[in-house]
Amino acid sequence: MNMASAPAEIVAEPLLSLSAITKRFGNFTALSDVSLDIRPGEIHCILGENGAGKSTLCNLIFGVHRPDGGSMRYRGASFQPSGPADSLAQGIAMVHQHFSLVPDMSVVDNVLLGRQRGLLNRAECARQLEKLAVDYGLPLDPFAKIEDLSVGERQRVEIVKCLIRDPSLFVLDEPTAVLLPDEIAALLDVCHRVASSGRAVVLVTHKLAEIKKIADRVTVLRGGRVVATSDKPAAEIDALVRAMIQGNVDTLDQSAASILGLEPVKHIGHGTENDNTPKTKVEALQIDGLTVRDYQGVTRLDNFTLTVDRGEIVGVAGVEGNGQSELTAVLAGMMTPSEGKIYLGDINLTAKSPKEITAAGVGIVPEDRHAVGCVTGMSLAENIYLNRLDEFTRFGFLQRSALEREAAALMQRFDVRARGPGALFSSLSGGNQQKAVLAREITLPNLTCLVAAQPTRGLDVGAVAAVYSHIRAACERGVAILLVSSELDELLTVADRIVVLYRGRIMGSCVADPDRREAIGAMMAGQPQ
Amino acid sequence: MTTTDQQPSSAAKLTSKFGFAARPALLVPVLAVAFAALVGLALIAAIGVSVPNALAAFIDGTLGSPYAIAASINRSTVFALVGFGFVLANRANLTNVGGEGQIAVGGIAATAVALYGHVDGLPLGLAFILPMLAAIIAGALWGALAAVLKVKSGTNEVISTLLLSFIGVWLLYWCVQSPALLRKPMTSSATLPESLEIPDETKLPLLTGDYSFPLHIGLPLTIILAIVVAVLLSKTVLGLRLRAVGLNPVASNRAGISYTRTVIFALAMAGALGGLAGALMLQGEQYTLKDGFSSGYGFDGLVAGLLSRGSVTGVIAASLLFGFMRSGGINMEMVAAVPTALVVVIQGLIVITLAGATLFIERWERK
Repeated sequence: MNMASAPAEIVAEPLLSLSAITKRFGNFTALSDVSLDIRPGEIHCILGENGAGKSTLCNLIFGVHRPDGGSMRYRGASFQPSGPADSLAQGIAMVHQHFSLVPDMSVVDNVLLGRQRGLLNRAECARQLEKLAVDYGLPLDPFAKIEDLSVGERQRVEIVKCLIRDPSLFVLDEPTAVLLPDEIAALLDVCHRVASSGRAVVLVTHKLAEIKKIADRVTVLRGGRVVATSDKPAAEIDALVRAMIQGNVDTLDQSAASILGLEPVKHIGHGTENDNTPKTKVEALQIDGLTVRDYQGVTRLDNFTLTVDRGEIVGVAGVEGNGQSELTAVLAGMMTPSEGKIYLGDINLTAKSPKEITAAGVGIVPEDRHAVGCVTGMSLAENIYLNRLDEFTRFGFLQRSALEREAAALMQRFDVRARGPGALFSSLSGGNQQKAVLAREITLPNLTCLVAAQPTRGLDVGAVAAVYSHIRAACERGVAILLVSSELDELLTVADRIVVLYRGRIMGSCVADPDRREAIGAMMAGQPQ
Repeated sequence: MTTTDQQPSSAAKLTSKFGFAARPALLVPVLAVAFAALVGLALIAAIGVSVPNALAAFIDGTLGSPYAIAASINRSTVFALVGFGFVLANRANLTNVGGEGQIAVGGIAATAVALYGHVDGLPLGLAFILPMLAAIIAGALWGALAAVLKVKSGTNEVISTLLLSFIGVWLLYWCVQSPALLRKPMTSSATLPESLEIPDETKLPLLTGDYSFPLHIGLPLTIILAIVVAVLLSKTVLGLRLRAVGLNPVASNRAGISYTRTVIFALAMAGALGGLAGALMLQGEQYTLKDGFSSGYGFDGLVAGLLSRGSVTGVIAASLLFGFMRSGGINMEMVAAVPTALVVVIQGLIVITLAGATLFIERWERK
């Protein structure tokens, strides 16, 4: 492994080479003096925390942005793409972090979008899709509607959209953030097949397990600079992590380490003294017979009954789409249950407004940060206190300086990194956005219960560790915590007890013991244990 | 990474705050208006009207006399009030295109109270204030109706406010046609379908008391409301909540900001400002309610709001432009026989070039 930027031994003529690339946005330098080679037939992983410049790098390669300094060469010639269309035409395809599919259209139509003029030849496209399915192991029903597909299948459509163009360079920007374990394995297999056909794959990730499995070479970015490169990443993983987070792996939060695949899963819970000295149980959140039927009459959540005590973390496991969204939406006051009751101590919170639920002391970290958790077009300070603006009001006027002062204090406490409390929320990285949402909900003055749904999705190591240390600290203070997650490892590490949701019903429950992993997995698949 | 490309330059910050205050943002609209004016003059020449005559008539109608100036400003206040309402509702991502109907119901309410509310003997200016208040309430209810339709049944407010405009305009027509409503007593078969003239005490006081310079108290009132709206939008929690609901209603709801209340408030305020605009037209200018009472003032106000890019100063600038354009256009038609249609065309040209210029400024600032 070469720390800093000594060039690696030339194995083959690089397909794409970047030399001394710099990219600035206003005063902010996103990339600084980045040099790197992508060789044909390799899987090149770009590793880095959120905000390290990974996506900016992809966007430069894909022609979304133009570099401010340095140069790119592609297939031996100078490369200055005028835009994504130009990059595509030259054989560079990219799967973005967020899907760009039309939900109401079929797979074939989505693949054909922007590729054909005049008459659509759907039959021909379907044949091509079938060939890709065989070549790369990407089975898809060409005529299924996107909205009927699972997240994993939708991503397959995105990949197929790229592969059908027969690209020489295939860029994937954090493709595994939304996938289930088997889907991740399948995706990595696709990457493997693409690379073995002589194309280059650039995989942006912060999951080390993936790097261990498939990376041929790794470039680590931190703060917009290349801080390490490696030709044998599997052997040097610890050093790569150290370079990525600029710290010691040993000090890394254990829950974060196991979620990242650095360590075998170990149950930690939220505090050592809990294991020997059982506290007196005080029921905080009581959910009784909660049932949600959607407007078509389909039962999404079926007679869900659960009690969460103060100082306890209860995990809700399950494959996504088995009623978790409905459960959190009802608890957040965003959806009215068809039946059932919700109590917080003696307070009836059934079908109450979000405002009343917040006032009662229930914090909600929603699964969809952008749609429900924040207003990305407003400032960080405004978002942190969005539910408590009244505290910064005098005669109706907003006390902006007080608001920003308080927000700055919370930013420090929760390590939310931004240019300042006045920074536009959308300018924050995902991890910092999540920390800000968590800061807002966890600092409710009378917090007695916290409902956190997929709180670490898409976050990097540091942010995952921070989120869990705050959740555990709240738990220590006696807050009841309901943690909804589709990452079983995460629940096994953090929760005290796990209930498994399957098709809206509780399939079973057990203590969060890594030895019960298989039993829980079977329950997630619908087999009662 | 969605993060870094959203750092507005200082120039962009200036414009978003003060509308036309920043330098390129001032120059480009001026050039756009000049361009549209040149095209307009070419069109006038093309239809065979003498350009100097038309120009003279235009200037005479806008700046030619104290009367022309005052009439133009009075007209501008009407556009500005509707424009403020548009900007206010637009902060919550609502598009109020119902200014015309809100003006109509405001006019009806003001007429009814001024004529039949026994207000003409009241002290302390209540004689002219009460009809204005009635107009404000009527306009607010008209706007709130669209809001209720939106929050209860999801009706798009563009559709509902537009259709409510037609209803408002036809309601006005009905009121002045029916002797049982506001039509003046029929003394002969030639009696026009219009209301009686409102009593003098209910007319808006003139600032100078001189009828050759009929600038009325609508101007200071509009200036005060401009400040109120600007402060409300930029300095108050209410303004922040409007913006939050406009940007993300779901997240705002989760944070305890009521979508229903915010939408109803925003459209009711827009309607109230439209209703007040109707009162200014009736009590400050026309004095009788008749068919064709508004003749598109609500839509001019809407365009002023659209062109302002959300800033109150922008609304004022656009309203003054349109107020003087209208006055000049009327005079061009009367004196130089330039069809009003052509004035409307020129106005449309200004809108398009200004909108194009705005786009240009935004792109230029983003670089």
